[in-house]
Amino acid sequence: MKTTFDTQTIELNPSGENFVAVVDGKTVNVQIARASNGRMDLLVDGQRVTAHVSSDMARRWVTINGRTLMLTKTSGAKQGVRHDHAGGLIAPMPGQIRSVSVSVGDAVKKGQTLLTMEAMKMEIRIQALKDGVVKSVSVAQGQTVEREQILVEVE
Amino acid sequence: MFAKILIANRGEIAIRIMRACRELGVKTVAVYSEADKNSQHVQFADEAVFIGNAAPKESYLNMDVLIRAARDSQADAIHPGYGFLSENASFAAGVESANLAFIGPSADSIRAMGDKAESKILMKKASVPTVPGYEGLESYGDFKKAAKEIGYPVLVKAAAGGGGKGMRVVNEESELKEAIELAKREAQNAFGDERLLIEKYLANAHHIEIQVFGDKHGNLVHLFERECSVQRRHQKIIEESPSPLLTVELRERMGQAAVNAAKAVNYHNAGTVEFIFDPRPSTFDLQPSFYFLEMNTRLQVEHPVTELVTGLDLVHWQLRIAAGEKFPFTQSDLHQHGHAIECRVYAEDPSTGFLPSTGRLLQFIPPQGPGIRVDSGFAAGDEVTHYYDPLLAKLIVHAGSREDAIQRMKNALNDFIVHGVVTNIDYMRAVLEADDFKQGKVSTRWVETTFGEWNVPQPELHALIAAALADVVFVGGKARPAVSNETDPFNPWKGTGNYRN
Repeated sequence: MKTTFDTQTIELNPSGENFVAVVDGKTVNVQIARASNGRMDLLVDGQRVTAHVSSDMARRWVTINGRTLMLTKTSGAKQGVRHDHAGGLIAPMPGQIRSVSVSVGDAVKKGQTLLTMEAMKMEIRIQALKDGVVKSVSVAQGQTVEREQILVEVE
Repeated sequence: MFAKILIANRGEIAIRIMRACRELGVKTVAVYSEADKNSQHVQFADEAVFIGNAAPKESYLNMDVLIRAARDSQADAIHPGYGFLSENASFAAGVESANLAFIGPSADSIRAMGDKAESKILMKKASVPTVPGYEGLESYGDFKKAAKEIGYPVLVKAAAGGGGKGMRVVNEESELKEAIELAKREAQNAFGDERLLIEKYLANAHHIEIQVFGDKHGNLVHLFERECSVQRRHQKIIEESPSPLLTVELRERMGQAAVNAAKAVNYHNAGTVEFIFDPRPSTFDLQPSFYFLEMNTRLQVEHPVTELVTGLDLVHWQLRIAAGEKFPFTQSDLHQHGHAIECRVYAEDPSTGFLPSTGRLLQFIPPQGPGIRVDSGFAAGDEVTHYYDPLLAKLIVHAGSREDAIQRMKNALNDFIVHGVVTNIDYMRAVLEADDFKQGKVSTRWVETTFGEWNVPQPELHALIAAALADVVFVGGKARPAVSNETDPFNPWKGTGNYRN
């Protein structure tokens, strides 16, 4: 069974009572000593590893030795859709639009503040990632926006 | 002592206060907004009253509703916690005029210290050192002139505010105009008052604050310092006591200045006098200098640090003072023991400039062990929303020395498991490991200018294996011992074919 997390692919297959994992051409033997309540105690090539793991749709949260990572299962899915959406600038979190300083057709410079939003008591400036022309403005002052909603497109 | 009090707050601080109430035999009333109906603080209280919509203005900031809730539930007093209405003089006055006790200072003390410009003038009169700067400016031209005279970098900040809101550092004149506009707007939003003041920005300064405590019988003591220089977005993330920078003599001088500041406004109950501390020896007396920054007329987020080094329970004493009790101790009875550090565990992403992270907590396992304290308002399954401050928990450790406390904190952070939202746990551990932190050289701008950007590390082999295995062993969110019991003839999972490969 092959799974891709972000850019890395792992192949994991059962082998008797254990598993064999292949990553980057490296093969290791994995034995599950215990697995319950989001925690697994493993023996990876004989080395003891405790991992806390949670799943939420395509996301996997993993903590090993105090380091927590969020991995996203990307097998089959297109990568980078979220950030490259035709120069679209998205809301980093849910909130409310405070001001919009550009309109369609405006020429903008990299780093220029296009709009400001308020979320969690903070003012967040949405700035142009590159020089360009405003292609669309999808929000108005006072509007409530969801996380990852497209606010402005620049091309 | 009171029979019952209402806690006009939420999250970890509401629970912290309720714990103290339980210990003192005082019944508790929680309040909650629409977004908090299943929150931990509601579950923890003896009673709970619904107060309105999720937006703070319609619930936790609604004075009338809160006072009515206290009266209807026959509470004797209101504890405001920190944030929300804790430093609102009208609220304190309103509580008192409804024949309830306000667990905090008098409305007059709050008012006097609440206005940053007014309080600075008061402090100058009381001979407490203040930062060079100007109050009461209006036109851009005035600000420009003042900034030039003080010398860049300068700081513009809300006259009415605190907590880093409505505050901007301006490095050169070209940035001044936008900074003033942004700060004004933030000040207007946060405090309903857009007045700003401007002062010298001390680039390598530390933030050192003194805890003060007064009873209603004229006794006022200080409970030593907290060093709070590790900050991001002008908000503290790591605090400790004692400060590695203070000598016995400096500690005494700052303690006395803090007591003088509090006395100037007839202070009672818990309060904190914040100082900007410049470690460079001054040309005047070759000593480091310190300047009054502001006084927080409430319990601080980081109060546990002081509790661990002094052995006093600050919330107990807040209630006892408000109920009219007298301190049985004087300044000379108070001492610092060992070293305490607090890390604020926030749902925020250090790799995106500390933007808050929202979501459902899939796992939430606080660390345990000797000398470890966790003040938390969350449990697994809880939702972290965008309505409120993203503080998940405060992790506080106590040990014999600073070195041991750092070591203990690093291990405690290692053991803290939070899944479902991105946290600053790994980031804070990296800060504790930095040489500058070990040597006590972290100034308030260090995170921004020296520590550098935070990059999420690439997952290594073990993490990938664990992530891939999750689909095999935790099918449907429940754990199934897919393999380990394969030789057990009674294994209920045997032969159920729950592999998906």
